[in-house]
Amino acid sequence: MLDHRLAPLDDTISIDDLTVAPYPIYRRLRAEAPVLRVKSVGRTFLTKAEDCKYVKDTPEIFSSNDPNTPMKRAFLAHTLMRKDGPEHMAERMAMAPALMPKTIQEVWAPLYRQFVDEYLDRLPKGEVVDLHVLLSEPIAARILAHILGIPEATDAQMSFWSQALIDGAGNFGWRPDLFEISDRANAEMDAMLARAVERVRAQPDRSALSVMVNSENPIAMSQIVANIKIAIGGGINEPRDALSTIIYGFLTEPEQLEETRRTGKWGQAFEEGVRWVAPIQASSRLVLEDVEIRGFRIPKGDTVMTIQASANHDEDLFDHPERFDVFRTKNPHQSFGSGPHHCGGAHIARRTVGAIMLEALFERFPNMTLPDPQAVLWRGFGFRGPINLPVKLG
Amino acid sequence: MKITFIAADGTETAVDAAEGESIMRAAVRNDVDGIIGECGGSMMCATCHCYVDEAWADATGQQEDGESDLLDCAASEVRPTSRLSCQIRMSAELEGVVIHLPESQL
Ligand code: HEM
Ligand code: FES
Repeated sequence: MLDHRLAPLDDTISIDDLTVAPYPIYRRLRAEAPVLRVKSVGRTFLTKAEDCKYVKDTPEIFSSNDPNTPMKRAFLAHTLMRKDGPEHMAERMAMAPALMPKTIQEVWAPLYRQFVDEYLDRLPKGEVVDLHVLLSEPIAARILAHILGIPEATDAQMSFWSQALIDGAGNFGWRPDLFEISDRANAEMDAMLARAVERVRAQPDRSALSVMVNSENPIAMSQIVANIKIAIGGGINEPRDALSTIIYGFLTEPEQLEETRRTGKWGQAFEEGVRWVAPIQASSRLVLEDVEIRGFRIPKGDTVMTIQASANHDEDLFDHPERFDVFRTKNPHQSFGSGPHHCGGAHIARRTVGAIMLEALFERFPNMTLPDPQAVLWRGFGFRGPINLPVKLG
Repeated sequence: MKITFIAADGTETAVDAAEGESIMRAAVRNDVDGIIGECGGSMMCATCHCYVDEAWADATGQQEDGESDLLDCAASEVRPTSRLSCQIRMSAELEGVVIHLPESQL
């Protein structure tokens, strides 16, 4: 029997609060109201790890195909992120060969190493520089441009397109100016892709574009383009924010850095960084039939938000969750999601930022310091990370 | 139903699984180190890689479609006995199955 109680409704939490300091709010919600309708966001928040995992792993009830989001308008396409079942699978698999570890190992990792050297070489020693802007962002853009098959795109173009798509997809207020910007980005991307398609047709390579275009049974060109755009929108911010977050974690907990150096557990540090501050903090799913979660009725047509940021700090699973602790024994974080939409770039992120960048960076600048941790600003409700990282390189 | 996991260092753990449950799910539910199962069994992550004991290879059957592509992604060495444990479901023939765990999943 379904209990007919709806989840409590909150009208005190604002999007600004969630953007500036979400973690204390989530701690309170996990304890007091783990299923909560949040008026400002218009969604039902799920803040316990178990509930987030259940929703992601049950796509029959919790659909990704939510027509009420601005994403379609921003991307000018219905993308795989917002599809279910075989259609989703077909589009996802079309791109998969370029994102698989074998390809990473053979092609992207060696290329990334080369970029790491170049981008580290450019950094001035002895000065305070914003590593977020000078390293985390551009290197994430550079490797992604190559993986996707548009190496001619500059770092700045990649960043602009990515941000325009993200801002458009998150434009729940349906402001026209934000869509004008995403439309401009779409026009630029479309023009570049038209040329890139011709190039990979003539000279196939291992990139996502080439794999999709030259497949025996290619998906529709409109979906190829949509896939590339989803990867541009979803493939820069997260590795960028993960890298900046981990550097911040190490510089504010130097003994963790020492121990990681000693043990070589850079991969573990990467996992802890993405657990600590999940680059994608929340995901939405549309409820296809009435269900019950923790005794509350979630009606069909409702939209639930799995707050993986909160799942990653759930006291049921993590001791001292608010601390960056590379050496926790278990780390079942949900930063890459779960279920059929599990991050397509997880292997890439792990095998570039995790396996290559961290060690190279701290080897190059063993005496790097963060002169003023308070100067680092953290922002974001849907996506989160530092927006600056003024470090002194040495 | 019983499953025995043997870790890379030789440690054995026996767990109880339900009929129809995947080996990945049984491992995660029982907190067995060495299986992560990050994507929840959607064949997306390859963090549930395992080696089926030779004696059980026939009973567990062949790799599912797409499994070998993803196994390319596994962090540890892929062997002829490699499987994604989320794709093996417990049935009467698998009562007592022995599963070897790889060195690492990430
Ligand atoms: C630290 C880095 C990253 C994190 C934390 C991350 C996180 C996530 C999460 C949580 C999702 C699932 C969203 C949902 O369930 O609705 C996702 C999906 C996705 N990610 Fe990532 N991501 C990262 C890096 C990347 C990179 C580098 C790429 C590009 C190659 C990428 C491509 C994708 C794609 C294509 C999807 C959609 C998958 C689908 O809907 O089937 N990600 N990511
Ligand atoms: S649990 Fe992800 S592939 Fe098996």
